[in-house]
Amino acid sequence: MSHFTLTRRHVLMGMAAAGAIPGASFAQGSEPVPGGTLKVSHSTRIATLNVLSNSGPAEYPCMDMLYSGLTRMGFDNQPQPDLATEWTANDDATEFTFSLREGVTFHDGTPFTADDVVATYETILNPDVPSAARSVLTMVESVKAVDDLTVKFTLAAPFADLPYSTAHANARILSRAALEDDISKLDTTANGTGPFKLDTYDSARMVRLVKNENYYKPGQPYLDAVEMMLFPDLAAETANFLSGETDVMLTVQQADYERIASSSGIEGQQIGAGRYVCVVMRQDQEPWNDVRVRKALGMAIDRQLMVDIILEGLGRPAYDSIVAPELEFATDKPEIAYDPEGARALLAEAGYPDGLDVTLIASDRPAIRAQAAIVMQQTAAAAGFNLEIRTMPHDTYLAEEWMQGDFYIGYWGMQPTIDATYNLLLTSDASYQDTEWKNEEFDSLIQQGRSTANPEERAEIYAQAQALELEDKPYIVPFFEDVLTASRENVHEWSVAPISRFYFVEDVWMDQA
Amino acid sequence: MRKILKSPTGLIGTVLLAIVFFVTVFGPWVAPYDPQAFDPINRLAGPSLQHWLGTDQYGRDLFSRMLNGAPSTVAFGLGATLLGVGVGSIIGVIAGVAGGRTDSIIMRILDGMLAMPELLFTLLIVTFLGGGTTQAMLAVAVTFTPGMARIARSSVLSVRTREYVLAAQARGESQSWIVGREVLPNALGPIIVEATIRVSFAIMIGATLGFLGLGAQPPSTEWGLMVAESRQFMFRNPWCVAVPGLAIAITAMGFNLFGDALRDAFDPKRSH
Repeated sequence: MSHFTLTRRHVLMGMAAAGAIPGASFAQGSEPVPGGTLKVSHSTRIATLNVLSNSGPAEYPCMDMLYSGLTRMGFDNQPQPDLATEWTANDDATEFTFSLREGVTFHDGTPFTADDVVATYETILNPDVPSAARSVLTMVESVKAVDDLTVKFTLAAPFADLPYSTAHANARILSRAALEDDISKLDTTANGTGPFKLDTYDSARMVRLVKNENYYKPGQPYLDAVEMMLFPDLAAETANFLSGETDVMLTVQQADYERIASSSGIEGQQIGAGRYVCVVMRQDQEPWNDVRVRKALGMAIDRQLMVDIILEGLGRPAYDSIVAPELEFATDKPEIAYDPEGARALLAEAGYPDGLDVTLIASDRPAIRAQAAIVMQQTAAAAGFNLEIRTMPHDTYLAEEWMQGDFYIGYWGMQPTIDATYNLLLTSDASYQDTEWKNEEFDSLIQQGRSTANPEERAEIYAQAQALELEDKPYIVPFFEDVLTASRENVHEWSVAPISRFYFVEDVWMDQA
Repeated sequence: MRKILKSPTGLIGTVLLAIVFFVTVFGPWVAPYDPQAFDPINRLAGPSLQHWLGTDQYGRDLFSRMLNGAPSTVAFGLGATLLGVGVGSIIGVIAGVAGGRTDSIIMRILDGMLAMPELLFTLLIVTFLGGGTTQAMLAVAVTFTPGMARIARSSVLSVRTREYVLAAQARGESQSWIVGREVLPNALGPIIVEATIRVSFAIMIGATLGFLGLGAQPPSTEWGLMVAESRQFMFRNPWCVAVPGLAIAITAMGFNLFGDALRDAFDPKRSH
């Protein structure tokens, strides 16, 4: 089953790379059939439809259906054309020109123009409006409409990854009219350019979206409607999906995956992604200031066991780099074997021949943090690490330990680029810098990577940066978690991008009885 | 004691409690495995000769974990009850003995606290204090206090006007002597009975808090937490939920039945 899924995913990836040619869906060798209502179950509330600021796991698919951005992240983790058909950058990556798609209209029938793009980005960059995409667009100095179908971005500093930033799930294009109106209306209404229009919004029960007849991909979407059904109880969600009440289970828990995916008439998908747990070892504190101690702990962790026990095998061991293998310019990381004897020797060399007693902090949410701590405690004991686990409520953790404590468990989602990954955690001025690693050479490499447009040079720069990370081991990263979803067999082309914010529901179709 | 053993409920309750106390005292020593040791090959296994009650999601031996969790779970129930009963009785006796305005003020405040459902009130306190075993125990104790105070007060009131108390007053004994030697010993029965029954509630609330993630924290072997941690795996190995669940049920039932029998034994009207 998983073998099949993998090949299917590659087919999807290939498709996305080909630029999502309309009608190119050739899974199972049959042509897409229009019609049908897709029922998607999810377990978290769709609390708001405000695309500028929402962040719920079930809110992302809605945004992907209701709105379009300039660019959109494909299943191959590369930005691909959406409302912008093409883009060019100047040599030092400080000016980007986007050409916009012709003849696109918003759901209410008003035409989409460059002015809407300008209005959207001005709102995103306005510090008075809460917007999740601002952090990846801080370098944007101005956005100008050259003509009705051309937009020019001028950046304050070179930034080669701008097309990734414009693909941010919260950087979707709104109409100027909607933005100049009361912004709180965006919470419950939506006037986008996406493949589906909002029909019913009931955050406590169901959000229903219907086909946008005027979507820019001709003949798409195939589905008449999509119903996002809320099941606050996981057992109820699973039971409804297995009995055929719903067609797609947005997120499947690791513990249930095997049972669900092996049920008849159901296809589970396991998508390699970059969500990870990391162990923070603050380097301005004893004993973590000694790289040998960090390396010893890295050797004292049985990564495969963690994948098997915590992720039920639905993930991959990672080797102490926060860069997921899916990212562009990611290098192959050498395997770190579980070697308690070697770890003990290294620990002795670092001045701890009798082992080390340390307290590892884990927040209680989500449970994976405590689980990781428990497995670490067991496997590291053989190497002389005597870990005492202290779990605490998440709020206490955020207030007292996070970014302050010297030894705790972090948990992060996948970022779209290496630049975003490192600037989140590891550069000296990273948003959530919590290791005190602060390596100047690393910082300058990341800066160089930003301002280099040539892909080969960038690959070289990022390879050096990753080598530095491996050498100094600012974090221990034991594994990457797969994204898990499941659909019934009569649903075709359902998938999730590794970054789990992009779904391409317009390509989905269902067998008609 | 003989009276208790005569009734079937009393007998069952006593036997269950005896088992529970045996496990509480000796459990951690007789456990066949380290309760935290992994056995990755035998994850989520059913009962076998190797693992008598099966294993959980990490391959930890459920029998050993259950035995190991007994002291903390039972201690939680007893501790919370003792604290709640102690404080509640003191307040109740003060109110009952003092009477008049003091009594009115104390009882009105307690009535206000009683208006809140027990579990909700506990949750509120735990949310306020933060999670953890000690906090959860405090929260349960605080929740128990108003009810216990009411019972203590009413039994003090019923004793206060008895002839032997009046006689002591006529003899000119001091107030504290009367309370300590005449009132309290005779008012103690209902309090003890209520306390025994409350232990079972305390254990259940403690397990509930553990289940909700507000009580004991992983990798603790507290039973409620064990249920919570393995709930996800219920469909793959029902034993990992059933074992700690049954343990909670047996302990709670033991205290409850014993308390019932104790009440019957203390009640002269029912002894014929």
